[in-house]
Amino acid sequence: MNEICRWSVRQLRDALKRRELSVSEIARAFLERFNEIDSEVRAFLHVDPERTMRQAAELERSLARGEKKLGFLTGIPLAVKDNISTRGVPTTCGSRILKEYVPTYDATVIQRLRLDGALLLGKTNCDEFAMGSSTENSAFFPSRNPRDLERVPGGSSGGSAAAVASFQVPAALGSDTGGSIRQPAAFCGIVGLKPTYGRVSRYGLIAFASSLDQIGPMTRTVRDAAVLLQVLAGPDSRDSTCSRAPVDNFVSGIGKDVRGWKIGVPAEWLSGGLDPEIRTAVESALKVLQGLGCSVREIRFPHQKHALAVYYIIAPSEASSNLARYDGVRFGHRSERANSLEEMYEATRSEGFGPEVKRRILIGAYALSAGYYDAYYLKAGKVRTLILQDFRRAFEAVDLIVGPTAPTLPFRLGEKTTDPLEMYLSDVFTVTANLAGVPGLSLPCAVSKSGLPIGLQILGPHFQEGRVLRLAHALERELTL
Amino acid sequence: MPIREDEVRRIARLAKLKIEEGELAGTAERFERILEYFGQLGEIDTERVEPTFHAVSEGAGQTPMRDDEERQSPGTEDALANAPKKSEGHFQVPKVIE
Repeated sequence: MNEICRWSVRQLRDALKRRELSVSEIARAFLERFNEIDSEVRAFLHVDPERTMRQAAELERSLARGEKKLGFLTGIPLAVKDNISTRGVPTTCGSRILKEYVPTYDATVIQRLRLDGALLLGKTNCDEFAMGSSTENSAFFPSRNPRDLERVPGGSSGGSAAAVASFQVPAALGSDTGGSIRQPAAFCGIVGLKPTYGRVSRYGLIAFASSLDQIGPMTRTVRDAAVLLQVLAGPDSRDSTCSRAPVDNFVSGIGKDVRGWKIGVPAEWLSGGLDPEIRTAVESALKVLQGLGCSVREIRFPHQKHALAVYYIIAPSEASSNLARYDGVRFGHRSERANSLEEMYEATRSEGFGPEVKRRILIGAYALSAGYYDAYYLKAGKVRTLILQDFRRAFEAVDLIVGPTAPTLPFRLGEKTTDPLEMYLSDVFTVTANLAGVPGLSLPCAVSKSGLPIGLQILGPHFQEGRVLRLAHALERELTL
Repeated sequence: MPIREDEVRRIARLAKLKIEEGELAGTAERFERILEYFGQLGEIDTERVEPTFHAVSEGAGQTPMRDDEERQSPGTEDALANAPKKSEGHFQVPKVIE
């Protein structure tokens, strides 16, 4: 492996600025790394080396002619989860139903990346329609954890996490509906940030659960996550749920101290089914924070124990509605085994969706159907209010909340595929942030005895990504992994 | 609450999904386990609680308006680019009227 593949976005940019490296040299190094390792890791669904090299050459010419200035990400090869629309590049969402789909437009985040001069190296594998916690629900193949190829990289943004962790790209985009950025980041030993709901435009993100979905960066350093968020964040008239609030400078707080900050630890998170090694890792990280001048106190999340049930009603309900669009008429797969329109809908959807997606559509349709709406969907919405109130109360007393990202270490392929509920438990600490809309970051904080990464989760109040990143960076500097 | 196979069939019809006869029992069983898990929400008193459908309050309940300016829409070619079947600038579907 070329040594530059280990570099951060920032190091690569500095080398470009000093003209020690060219855009083409960087692109070539990462494509070589892809050729060397991805047959084992299987992070990518689509890579087009010729196109990437062509883009690199074009970029190099416009930089040389002075037509383009060096932005944050100019010339940096990035991977993008395959549920984010890329013009002219297949976007399958890990599903058979979108196997042949090639978007005719770019998602807003892709437009922003292109404007800044980033290179798209490829699209990464994910659980079908982002429904899963291991990438084993991908219709094509599971990705593997670069730290241990017998284990899952987490999910649903497992391909993006694996690509970053195996040095095939310095950074990637993922999406997080119930933990799909943070849990794979924890499993692969990288940094993953789910921004506040509405901080980043969802335009062009193929919808799973619209009130929970959010796109965010996956990187190897906290500073790189701040840099990517700076490029991604901001208002977008094409997403009516995208916030119009001005965007903070996320990078400027990086490196500043965190003395006097109040950190809350939910008592409910450190009890029960948590792996003892993860508990120890979180407790040591809290000691480090105290050493940095933070005060740590226990807080209560009385409705935490219901978060998973609320999430697994709301997310499938929204999904059953969002996925109604796959009817075989305008895009995607169409069944050849149908004589009428009705038959065509049913056959198309039954052939095109995998078992977990079907299961969630059925659960959602049930929770929304006449006679059950009040008991399930409406009830879940009410308990969501109580969860939101838990957060409000907590953030009156503390600046940030810290805890584990996932309850277990990365598990083996096939270990949790027979029982859907078992897999759902992977999201027990992450779904609350989506339900409450708050930002959350996972940072590698320790390595288990078996050599597997452990992630620490940091949650902040709405639109306080800057605060989350500043604490994460302070901690990152102290931890030597 | 036991979920009967005909209930699964009814939901599948609503969702326009076909479940093979051989898969009905297994689907009903997994469905039931998941619904059992949801049952815990019944214990919580939500008598005077309003539901939340969007967690970030900014702009909630209001639709952001933009100026009424002309904008470029995707053309027919783009709209049809991914259509599995098309004919003369239209999406083609199986015959609807006898």
